[in-house]
Amino acid sequence: MKKIKNTLLKLLLKLLLVLVSFIAVTFVVYFFNLDMKLTAAMEPILFKFYDKVKRDQHL
Amino acid sequence: MGDKRIGTKNFGSLYTGGRVRKRREWRGIVDTAYDYSRWLYNWVTMFRVVLVKPRNIKALFRYRWMANYLAVPMMVDRHTQGLRGEHLRICHVEQDLIIEDVAKLLDKLFRGDRRIGNDTEFSKKVVLVDENEMQSIMMGFPTLVPLSREIASTYIPVLLNQRAACHYIDVAQEYGLAGDVCPMPEAEAGLSIDDDAPVLGACAVQCNTTCDGSLMGNGVISKRLELEDGIPVFQLATPLRHREDDVQEYAAQEIRNAIAFIEEKTGEKWDWTHYFECAKRVNYATKCRIEWLEMNKTPYPQVFGSNLALYTETNYMAISGRLPVFEEADRKITALAEKAYQKKKIAANEYRHRAIVWGVQSHFYMDFLVWLLNCWGIVPLTDMLSMVSTKMIAETDTPENREQAIYDIAWLTENMIMRNRTHGGYKVLLDELWEFVEEFNADMVILWEHMSCKALDGMHGQFEEKARERGIHLVWVSHDLFDPRVISRQGVRDQINSYMRTVMQEEPVDPSLETLDDAESW
Amino acid sequence: MKDLKHLSYFEDLLQDANNELVVQARGEGKKCVAYVCENTPEPLLNLEGCFSARLRAPRTSSMEMATYYLTSFLCEYSRALLERAMEGGFNFADCLIAPDGCSMINRCVENMELLHCLDQGKENFFYENMEIPMKADDNGLNLYVLQCKNHILKPLHEKFGIDVSDAAIRKSVAEHNRVCELIRAIGEFRKGDKPTITGYEFSVITLATYAAPKYLIMQKLEETLEELKTREPDEKNPFRARVVIVGSEIDDPEFIKLVESTGAFVCADRYCYGSFPGRDPIQLTEDEDALTQICRQYMYRGQCPRYMDQAKMLGRRAYVNQLAKEYKADGIIYEQVKFCDPWAYERMVGTHVLHDDYGYQVLSLDRPYNVSGVGQLRTRVQAFIESLEIKKIQGGAK
Repeated sequence: MKKIKNTLLKLLLKLLLVLVSFIAVTFVVYFFNLDMKLTAAMEPILFKFYDKVKRDQHL
Repeated sequence: MGDKRIGTKNFGSLYTGGRVRKRREWRGIVDTAYDYSRWLYNWVTMFRVVLVKPRNIKALFRYRWMANYLAVPMMVDRHTQGLRGEHLRICHVEQDLIIEDVAKLLDKLFRGDRRIGNDTEFSKKVVLVDENEMQSIMMGFPTLVPLSREIASTYIPVLLNQRAACHYIDVAQEYGLAGDVCPMPEAEAGLSIDDDAPVLGACAVQCNTTCDGSLMGNGVISKRLELEDGIPVFQLATPLRHREDDVQEYAAQEIRNAIAFIEEKTGEKWDWTHYFECAKRVNYATKCRIEWLEMNKTPYPQVFGSNLALYTETNYMAISGRLPVFEEADRKITALAEKAYQKKKIAANEYRHRAIVWGVQSHFYMDFLVWLLNCWGIVPLTDMLSMVSTKMIAETDTPENREQAIYDIAWLTENMIMRNRTHGGYKVLLDELWEFVEEFNADMVILWEHMSCKALDGMHGQFEEKARERGIHLVWVSHDLFDPRVISRQGVRDQINSYMRTVMQEEPVDPSLETLDDAESW
Repeated sequence: MKDLKHLSYFEDLLQDANNELVVQARGEGKKCVAYVCENTPEPLLNLEGCFSARLRAPRTSSMEMATYYLTSFLCEYSRALLERAMEGGFNFADCLIAPDGCSMINRCVENMELLHCLDQGKENFFYENMEIPMKADDNGLNLYVLQCKNHILKPLHEKFGIDVSDAAIRKSVAEHNRVCELIRAIGEFRKGDKPTITGYEFSVITLATYAAPKYLIMQKLEETLEELKTREPDEKNPFRARVVIVGSEIDDPEFIKLVESTGAFVCADRYCYGSFPGRDPIQLTEDEDALTQICRQYMYRGQCPRYMDQAKMLGRRAYVNQLAKEYKADGIIYEQVKFCDPWAYERMVGTHVLHDDYGYQVLSLDRPYNVSGVGQLRTRVQAFIESLEIKKIQGGAK
């Protein structure tokens, strides 16, 4: 019983750790605007793709 | 003031001169945690609805305008700047719902798109509608899916990224379109020419809202849509002089014809039960909007500025009572607004002036109203685009009301956002402005001069003269709607800055916002 | 060619909106119905006791006052009209009827009303704004008829006691048709390889029929037609190419003169104030009221780009092709007065369609309201004519 309890506790702790880490990491991403900094870096790459797409440009 | 406002100074220090800002705002523990949770929620929504599906990733690499959706979280940041407590929550209720709705729009567009998902069965249920179209015409078609390609490809992208439409404007001009037309239909025409619009749908309904340019731009789009893609198009002609009794029958008959067209092309039948359910929600939205506007007439306005404008545009025009989730949002917003009103909360450090914002807002700088509040303490009580129909429509299913409903749909279509003021004679644009100034106890009018909107320009001198006669401070803010290359965001701000300093002899509430390096920003 | 006997008379009529025939008609006690858009059915404005005058602002120079009211982004036509109205140049009008044809002309007229430009001291003066259809169909026709009743016939009857009966309308149509038939017959002389009337002369004569009371101009038109029957063309054709001009309003024949001065003969005129379709006679039958028939014909023949249905859009370009064929045009000039939204789009699409789908050489240009002395415009037209000429030469060598 005690063993199960310990395992459960460890599991909970692990989950909590994962959760706290997730929140900590995502909060850092959020607060320092890292998501936007990353997507801003992606923009020029996407434009290169768009320029290569074949289009039937006409009225 | 009944509000402890943490971190609401020196917002200018967050700007970098690049695409994005240095960091997000510190709003105190509770509000920052709340804002963070909404940020996370929005990312989850975008992943859940859009990014987990391979076809949508394919679309991301096919359509140039999709790159702008990288900036979604930043749009929310721009509109929530300086907001705390209930105001922050009101903004998130509005913005987050709009984000979810647009995410679903993208997903559906690509599902039916012949180039991407090519789900032909789904496509048969799609009715394409114009960007500037009241979707009340779809209130009786519960099984059909109204989608606007233009909302996804031009309207929203410019809200996200100020330069989103520039490429398409240039394409249209390369094909010989004059540079002085409104850049909104110009960009939409450019997008069609550039072969950058998803192709899907059983049929399409275009309309003549909002202006001559919009009407003509539709001609360019329908040329490709109908004659090449084989998607039949109905042009819904809505009267311009919408306040006149002798145009209402014409307007109603156009609605009857449009419904018959949709029925014919999709095989679906108009459902009166569903229509009246939607009508109830339209009325509820109208009731809420009236309540918010009533609050804004007091010293403690709660739902105002760019959030009111954006939400009204979405709910009134694009939703038109079709989605129950917006009724829920209306309820939440009203509850939050009432709570804040009871506590006499204000949404900025200082309220100095009460302004009516008139004319057509600069779309590439929708959050200008947030800046106006934070930098100069000017409260944008309401704006022209939010001053739409307040008429209650028939909502019970009776034989008489079924006839009345056609006139109600026609009325709503005639009173689509913007066109209900820019068309219909000078009274709705000019005379009613001064009535609102009085009702809202405003001391200032911020008059957006969308320079290529001929219907607005044509009243320029009259606005000036009438404001002078009434002793109202009228501040012109010129811009070119979709094109920041003509007048930049700083150019927009400078028009206010110079008026406030030279005429009003005032110093800004937050001097760090007076000049911002955001020319390269999204 | 020998000068047309009445050309300078017609030219004089165009020098001032309040020309001698307008003065004469008013002196005879007739009411002047001013209007500003081709979508206003002319026969309804020319009932017994009144006459129409389509507003123009010839010899416009400064438009500063109008620019203050309308900004520099509104088309110069609407600004020139407002400026002239503020100067008192349209004080001869007894009423003004304006359809909501485009935003700019609508705002122009609204400013005239707000500034009381035309109505001061005139007890019965009225401004009427009409809604007009944007699609040619039965619903549009019902609207058109109702609007003409409410905004033209009703006020004319109530304010000026004009007889607006079916018989009166039919009488007016008969007079209108006589003018149209004369213009059509005069225009036929443009079809020959050695035309006996220039595009400029024709534009002056046509324009005069919009600017002056019809019943007073009829005789001069008849005499001109007779004169043309025996007019000898020049030994050597002074023109190197034939063009159709298509586009927004042109109420200044100087533009046609400018085009012809570069060596292009303007063989057909598809613009507001032109003869196509503005001078198409109206065919009336006895089995339906005249008003409905007039509105139907105005609506279905109308080439205004504000008509938004696909059939109309396609029809506009097919109509230009038909004219070009009938008048043996080598090329087409699509023009628009600057800042005109409807024609900005129509010009772009028409230019491509007439070139790509119909195989014409097309010049696309925007122009100011007042064209005299615009060297840049001349250069562009000149280059176009040369390209037409080169094509002809190359075609001949094959």
